[in-house]
Amino acid sequence: MSVSRREFVAAGVAALCATGCDRGPLSDARRWVGLPTSPDLADPLTAPRADTIDEAAHVLARLTYGARPGDHARVTALGARAFIAEQLEPAALDDWVCERLIRHGFSELEDPRGHLFRAESRRDDPLQQLFPELRDGGGRVGELYEWKEKALLTSLTRATLLRAVYSRRQLAEVMVNFWTDHFNIDPSKGECKWLKAADDRDVIRAHALGDFPALLRASAVSPAMLWYLDGRVNRVHHPAEKPNENYARELLELHTLGVHGGYTQTDVMEVARCLTGWTVRDRKRFFRGRIEFHAHEHDNGAKRVLGHEIAAGGGAKDLDDVLQIVALHPSTARYLAEKLCRKFIADEPPQAAVESAAQTFLATHGSIRATLQTILDRPEFWAPQTRGVKFKRPMHFVVSALRAANARTDAAPALVDYLLRLGHAPFRYPTPDGYPEEAVHWQSALLWRWNFATALAENRIPGTAVDPADLRTRLGGDPELIATFFGRAPTDLERSAHASSGGGLALLVAAPAFQRC
Amino acid sequence: MMDKAQILLSPGTEQPRTLVVVFLRGGADGLALVPPLEDDAYYRARPRLAVSKKDAAPLDGFFGLHPKLAPLQPLFANGELAVVHAAGSEDQTRSHFEAQDLMEHGGIVAGGWLGRFLRTRPASTHGALGCVALGKALPESLLGAPSVTLMQTVDDFALGAKSPALLDGLRQLYSLESGQLGGAARDTFDALARIEEMRSTPYRPTHGAVYATDEFSISLREVARLIKASAGLEAVSIDLGGWDSHFTQASVLDPLAARLATGLASFHQDLGPLMKNTSVVVMTEFGRRVAENSSLGTDHGRGSVMFALGGGIKGGRVFGPWQGLDDATLEGPGDLPVRNNYRNVLAPILARHGLQDAHLSKVFPGFTIEPLPLYG
Repeated sequence: MSVSRREFVAAGVAALCATGCDRGPLSDARRWVGLPTSPDLADPLTAPRADTIDEAAHVLARLTYGARPGDHARVTALGARAFIAEQLEPAALDDWVCERLIRHGFSELEDPRGHLFRAESRRDDPLQQLFPELRDGGGRVGELYEWKEKALLTSLTRATLLRAVYSRRQLAEVMVNFWTDHFNIDPSKGECKWLKAADDRDVIRAHALGDFPALLRASAVSPAMLWYLDGRVNRVHHPAEKPNENYARELLELHTLGVHGGYTQTDVMEVARCLTGWTVRDRKRFFRGRIEFHAHEHDNGAKRVLGHEIAAGGGAKDLDDVLQIVALHPSTARYLAEKLCRKFIADEPPQAAVESAAQTFLATHGSIRATLQTILDRPEFWAPQTRGVKFKRPMHFVVSALRAANARTDAAPALVDYLLRLGHAPFRYPTPDGYPEEAVHWQSALLWRWNFATALAENRIPGTAVDPADLRTRLGGDPELIATFFGRAPTDLERSAHASSGGGLALLVAAPAFQRC
Repeated sequence: MMDKAQILLSPGTEQPRTLVVVFLRGGADGLALVPPLEDDAYYRARPRLAVSKKDAAPLDGFFGLHPKLAPLQPLFANGELAVVHAAGSEDQTRSHFEAQDLMEHGGIVAGGWLGRFLRTRPASTHGALGCVALGKALPESLLGAPSVTLMQTVDDFALGAKSPALLDGLRQLYSLESGQLGGAARDTFDALARIEEMRSTPYRPTHGAVYATDEFSISLREVARLIKASAGLEAVSIDLGGWDSHFTQASVLDPLAARLATGLASFHQDLGPLMKNTSVVVMTEFGRRVAENSSLGTDHGRGSVMFALGGGIKGGRVFGPWQGLDDATLEGPGDLPVRNNYRNVLAPILARHGLQDAHLSKVFPGFTIEPLPLYG
């Protein structure tokens, strides 16, 4: 039997850390070997004291996956607007604890220059000249096929949950989740089961707070997207052949203009013609996973898209022309602004905020960061009636419980099972529209929220552990514990209900106030 | 074609409530389960494995049932059970994995057909126990369902040791909630009360039913329990695996056929009149080669059988067409061609369970449905 050095160290640390030890040098050791752990809490752990949700609690509820103990005190000291500015610049935030966890556990997703991936840069490749982001990406995508597809999806799911729970770049993670839904890909279709991992890394994460046109272009030539929406089989060999419209339609309906964005069936057909010939090599061939443009399968005639003429003979450039027309179209600005306002302000987004966000989007040529800044500056975002009224989607609910409880977790499949039961497991949505945002879709599945609450509180979820007594002591008592979960001081009824339930975490996680953000 | 589909897919006045899908994993041999007793070519192809006329339970004079499926014969005779022969998918790979995936997804599409069907329902009907998969892993057919509960028995729903005190506290807090959340909380308290009642009283099957103790029968017993508790169960998926009978087929197939038949017969007896609100469909990824192999087994083939039971199905019929087993009619290496695509069997059943015509193409995209007339 051969035991790697890392496994040997892990076994030793696991033995030392069998119980407790989520602080101090041993905790660091756990992180180094990728064992379940949680980043240390930053003192002071002062809980919220106001009777209503204050600005610090509000930004934590909306921009993050929920406050960890001590977050409220830190944001109060920093100022809510400074916290927004900090979160809008994720690269400046030191996130080594979370990144080390991911690298140890899931190197196949995270370590592009490690031994598993060939960083292949081919300057002579016309595709890499056209799309600079492919320059060191072509080889890596193909390497994903080396992994068992189910293991890869499990890793991607666990890494996604771990980052949601532990990353300090919380707004970036929230936006990754937003774009994952916007450009939804269900890995259960065809070879997406391998390729979604590359899409997550090279498309969604690379551009989550960047510029929308770059995000859109990366998605358009993402091997997973070419599979999921059939772009890879959109081709014509002779003029009578009909292109495959699947991607073209969703590009206009879901990714850019929106269903009421003013395009016609003719526009869909013309966009499909422009994109003919783009394909991805399948796993049965050499250079699998590579994106290619087949000029002989491209409809090289003239096209007209949303009133713009695209001259004959454009070849591969037709793709860029189409994306340029749609990425910064006024309907796209409005549609994205509305979705972002729904995410950050209310299920029924206030129209003035939508207008203002759309203007910023156009004025900044699609800067996601600037558009978010506008939304988070709006009076509608700060209004008291906006606070604490959005219904958490199940993933937000589960992750916020782990964060508030300062849980140690390795995001094992047992945790993901709860999200399956709640209908919101990452990368499991079948249709291209992505998981819905509005409360109406999520409010009926309370039983499994309550089941999760009791399982978490009683430490019945394998791979996840909480220490409620320690947490209560560190926070100072029951009122502070409740306030940490609810983002405000508890009402008398909440205090008495908590006491009558036995005082643990179950009631706090299952309570109506914790279902909202 | 579409006109026919629209007429047949109009939901009846009496909508069944619960759809139970039984998937026989491994490729169950349709020619052993429902042998064509009057087709001489069958006996020529299977000199050692064919089910003999004297052993089979008679069905319609031409087909019979495998002797171990005899418990299902009364259900066929009284018109509740229908058999669809030469059923299967368009998959040509004869690979378990590929064929199961294709059949459970409903084509090369994302998500599963049952999951997509449940997504077509209004959000307000996604109850706490609307969809249940019995077993240890979620079947592909349920991918994308709005909410799925994976369980082995009803006991998996325990809210934990302190649940009475917790529920008291939650009742106080949720009593202040109006609107959908308040309503959902009331439904959940009701569901929990029913589950508690179920858990605290040992289950006694009714109408004299006695379940066997194998996993399949226990799963069906738990489904009956949930149906009787009015827990809002809409869809159930149960796997019965192990049908890959390459080698000494009888030793593989006989015990599985017995489990299938006794389980379904007990379930049917237990539910009694509730069976009219329940549909059971039994399917498998493909059938077996017509000719037996040298090790008393059969290899991967194409067409198999499907069974449909309850829920107003006009049974007592074996749906064909049967075009014989001559070499000229067989496909590829000697397989029964698929005459009935599984979607054409599922579509009318889903329609009875409330699937609207407009949503049919979402559940089975890229396929022109020609529904089998199971109800008329």
